[in-house]
Amino acid sequence: MSFLLRILPAAMFAAGASGFAGAETLKAAPDQPLQAVLDRAQAGDVIELAPGDYKGAIRIDRHVVLTGRPGAVLDGGGAGNVVTVTAPDVTIRGVTIRGSGRDLQTMDSGVFLEKSAQRALIENNRFEENLFGIYVHGAAGSRVLRNVVEGIRDGRLNEAGNGVSLWNAPDVTIAENTFRYGRDGIFTISSRKDRFVNNRFDQVRFAVHYMYTNDSEVSGNVSVGNHIGYAIMYSNRLVIRDNISDRDRDYGLLFNYANYSEIDSNWVAGGSLDTIAGDREEGPDKERGMVPEARATQVLRSGPEKCVFIYNTNHNKFRNNWFEHCGIGVHFTAGSEGNEITGNAFVGNRNQVKYVGTRDLDWSKGGRGNYWSDNPAFDLNGDGIADTAYRPNDLVDRVLWTAPSAKVLINSPAVQVLRWAQAQFPALYPGGVVDTHPLMAPPSKPSVSRSLR
Amino acid sequence: MNGDLHHPHVSFTDGTYDGRYVFMNDKANTRVARVRLDVMKCDKIIQLPNQHTVHGLRVQKYPRTGYVFCNGEDAVPLPNDGKILDDSKQYHSIFTAVDGDTMKVAWQVMVDGNLDNVDADYQGKYAVSTCYNGEEGVTLAEMTANEQDWVVIFNLKRIEEAVKKGDFKEMNGVPLIDGRKGSRYTRYVPVSNNPHGLNSAPDGIHIVAAGKLSPTVTVMDVRLFDQLFDDKIKPRDVVVAEPELGLGPLHTAYDGKGNAYTTLFLDSQICKWNIDLAKRAFKGEKVDPIIQKIDVHYQPGHNHSSMGQTKEADGKWLISLNKFSKDRFLNVGPLKPENDQLIDISGDKMVLIHDGPSFAEPHDATIVHRSKINPISIWDRADAFFSDAVKQAKADGINLEADSKVIRDGNKVRVYMTSTAPAFGLEQFQVKQGDQVTVYITNIDAVEDLTHGFSIVNYGINMEVAPMATASVSFSADKAGVYWYYCSWFCHAMHMEMKGRMFVEPKTV
Repeated sequence: MSFLLRILPAAMFAAGASGFAGAETLKAAPDQPLQAVLDRAQAGDVIELAPGDYKGAIRIDRHVVLTGRPGAVLDGGGAGNVVTVTAPDVTIRGVTIRGSGRDLQTMDSGVFLEKSAQRALIENNRFEENLFGIYVHGAAGSRVLRNVVEGIRDGRLNEAGNGVSLWNAPDVTIAENTFRYGRDGIFTISSRKDRFVNNRFDQVRFAVHYMYTNDSEVSGNVSVGNHIGYAIMYSNRLVIRDNISDRDRDYGLLFNYANYSEIDSNWVAGGSLDTIAGDREEGPDKERGMVPEARATQVLRSGPEKCVFIYNTNHNKFRNNWFEHCGIGVHFTAGSEGNEITGNAFVGNRNQVKYVGTRDLDWSKGGRGNYWSDNPAFDLNGDGIADTAYRPNDLVDRVLWTAPSAKVLINSPAVQVLRWAQAQFPALYPGGVVDTHPLMAPPSKPSVSRSLR
Repeated sequence: MNGDLHHPHVSFTDGTYDGRYVFMNDKANTRVARVRLDVMKCDKIIQLPNQHTVHGLRVQKYPRTGYVFCNGEDAVPLPNDGKILDDSKQYHSIFTAVDGDTMKVAWQVMVDGNLDNVDADYQGKYAVSTCYNGEEGVTLAEMTANEQDWVVIFNLKRIEEAVKKGDFKEMNGVPLIDGRKGSRYTRYVPVSNNPHGLNSAPDGIHIVAAGKLSPTVTVMDVRLFDQLFDDKIKPRDVVVAEPELGLGPLHTAYDGKGNAYTTLFLDSQICKWNIDLAKRAFKGEKVDPIIQKIDVHYQPGHNHSSMGQTKEADGKWLISLNKFSKDRFLNVGPLKPENDQLIDISGDKMVLIHDGPSFAEPHDATIVHRSKINPISIWDRADAFFSDAVKQAKADGINLEADSKVIRDGNKVRVYMTSTAPAFGLEQFQVKQGDQVTVYITNIDAVEDLTHGFSIVNYGINMEVAPMATASVSFSADKAGVYWYYCSWFCHAMHMEMKGRMFVEPKTV
C-alpha cells in the first residue's frame, strides 16, 4: 500500500479553509522520506504526519499545512535546520521538532523562517534540543503561538541559541509559548510592530532580550529565575504591560534608551534565588559555566539586584507597577527625562530608590504619587495621600552612598540631628527625587493570579 | 580638512613603551599620524591607499614597533574608481601594516567583514582584530542579520613570506594579500555578533574580545594560534573562557595580576573579573569570575589601566572614558563634556577617585609611566624637523642662527630672521604685491620655555617657534599696505613691543 493516500473529502475541506481549489490532505508516514511528500504537494495541501520519528531535515517551499498527529517527531539529526521554510503562508502545527545542528554561524534552528516565509503560523509544537527554537529571519506577519520551546541543556550558555530569535520581521506575534533552557527566551533586533505576549520563561539567560524594535508590545509575560527578566533597549513607542518578573537574578525590568513608552502594571518580585533552585529539576544548570559555586554550601542569595533599572530612558509613563523585595527598587539615572512615575508600589526594597543625577524630580502627577512601604507619614484628612512629601533620598542616604561604612552610625545622635535639621531646613536636602503626594495604600497588585508562589 | 582621531598608541620595544613615537588614526580620512615624543610634534601623516576609514589602530609590541596595524572598517570596491557603485558584493575591507620607522605601507590584507579593533601579541607573531558585519550588509538591519561574527587572526610570518614570494596583487603601489576566509594567512574565530574591543593581556597569553551585543567576552589563548594555523585544531578551540559580565562589554584593561576590567556600556559599569576563574568556569567548575562591578557615569567606551597595555602593567590606576556626562557638570550648553573617571585599582576593590570633564569627544587614551617619555626642552639645531629650511638657507648663503636677510628669487621672496627676546632680527621688510613669500624664523634664545610666536596681522598667519627651532610659513602677499607682525607667544617683559612691519608695495598696472 502506498504511504501516500489521497483522501478527497479531507482535501475538499482543506480547500475550503485555505481557499485553494483542489487542495488535498497528504498522509505521511515515518518510514518514507517526508521531503518527497512535500515536493509532491500542491499549494494549499495539508500534509498530515502519522505518529513516529521522521528523520532528516526538510524544506518547505510551497504554501502547505504541516500537521502532526500526537507522537509525530521531526528529527533533524543534528545538522542544519530541522525545518527551513521559504514559502509564504505555511503552517506547522502539532509536531515535535528536535535535533537541529549546533552551529551558531549558520543559525541552526528547529524552524527557520526565511524572509520569503511571510505569514507563517507555527503553533502547538514542541521544540527540543535545537540550537534555536524558531528563527524568524525577516518573515513578516508570522505567528508563533502556544509552542513549548526547550533549548539545549548541556554545553555553555553563550554557545546555546535562543528560544525565538526575531530579526527584521514586522507584524509578528510571539504568544503563549513556554520557553526553557538555552540562551535568551526571546531575542529581537532591528524589527518593528511586533507583539510578544503571554509567554513564560524559565531557566534562560534573559527572558526577553530586546534591541531596536520600535512600536511593539511586550505584555502578559512571566519570567521566573532568569538572569534578567526584560532587557528593553534602544526602542521607542512600546507598550510594556502586565509582565511578571519573579526572582530574576540581576534586573526585573531594564530600560536603556527606551522612550515614549507605556510601562504599566508590571510586577517585579524579589526573593531567595535558592528557592528557585529547589524548584528546579536536578542538572540543567550544571554546564552553564557561569553559575556560582554549589548552592548548598552558599549563603542564601536573593535577587534581583534591581527591580527596575531606568537608564537614559525618556518620556515614558511608568504607572501602576509593583516593585518589591529587591536590592534596589528603582535605579534611576543617566539623565532620564520627562518620565511620569505615578501609582507604583515600592515595597520592602532594601534601597527603595537609587537616584544618580543632580536635577530635582517630583514623582507625582495631578496630586497622585506612589506608594512607599517605608513611608511613616500620616494622612489626617483621610484622602489617601500622605500629609507630607516622601523623599527616598535624603542627606543621610547620600552620606551612605559615598561612605558605606557610615552605616554603623545610622542610629547615632549625629544622624538623628542631621535628619531633624534637614526636616527644619529643606535647603539642606540634596537634589533628587521627591514624591509630593505619596499614596497611603498600594495600588492593587498586578497579575497576582499568574504568580507562581 | 576635519579629522576624527581615535586611538593613540605609543611605540614598543620588547613588550613595553620605548618613548619614541605615538601613532594614531584619523578615521574620517583613512590617515595615520606619527608624533615624535622627544619633541612632542607630529612629524608624519600618511594616507592609506585602498582602505576606507581606519578604525582600530595598535602597534607591534615585540620585538619592537615595527608595524603599526590599521583596521579598515568600511568596505568599498577595489580599486574604488567609480566603476562599481551600488554592488556591495564587490566591496572589501582592508587590514594594513605600516612600517613605523619609515611610515610607509608594508603590506595590506583583504578580509571578510568590517574590521573593528586590533591588538598584537607579545611574541611578534600575530595581530588580532574583531570584525562585525560579517553579513557585509549596508543597512543597520542587514548588519544585524546574523548570529555570529568573528575575530580575525593575522599570521605575520606567513604574510611576510607571501610578500617575499610575490603571492599578492599590487594595488595602488602596495602589496595586497588575499586573506579572506580559507586563506593560509588568516584564521577566523566565530564569536557572538558585533564584537568590539580587542585587548591583549600583559601575561602575553590571553587576548580578550568584548561582546558588545552579547553580554560576554571571549578569551583566547595565543599559544594555541600556531596549532590553529597548522589546522590541528578548530577555530573555536582557541577560546579558553567566555564569561558573562553584563550588558554591552566594550573594552578590557588589565592590572598585571591576572584581573581584567571590562567596560559595560549599557550597565554603565566597570566589571572587574579574574581571567583564571573565567577559564575554570569555562571548563565547568562552579566558580564566579566576577569580582566587583562599579558604577561609572555614564556609559563607558574605552578604558585603560596604567601601563596596562604593556608587559609592565602596574595595577595602580584605571581611567574610564565615559561617553556621556548628562547632568553631572555645570551646564555648558547643548554640547556636554564627556566624563573621564579615575579609579584606584591598587586594592582588592576598585575605588572611584575623580571625575574630570573633557571636551567632547576624546575617544581613547593611553596611560604611560612618566619614566618612559623623556622629551627635550631645547631643539637640536641638527634636527630633521626643519632640515628643509636649513638646506634652503645654505643654498641662499644664510646662517640661520645669525643672519636676518631678505633674498629675492624672481617673484619668490625668502625672509630670514632670528628672534631673540624682545626683538625679531628684522624690524621691517618689503615685498611686492603678488610675491610668493616664505618667512623663516629662528629662535636663538637657547633658554628653556622661551618660545616665540610669529603672526602677521590680517594675513591669517600665526606660528610657534620653540627655543632653537626654525619655523617657516609661506603665503602669497596679495594685499598691499603696511602689516605689522608681532610675537604671539608670551616671551619677555617687552613682549608687546616685539614686532615689526611688512610693507607690501602695490602691483603697478
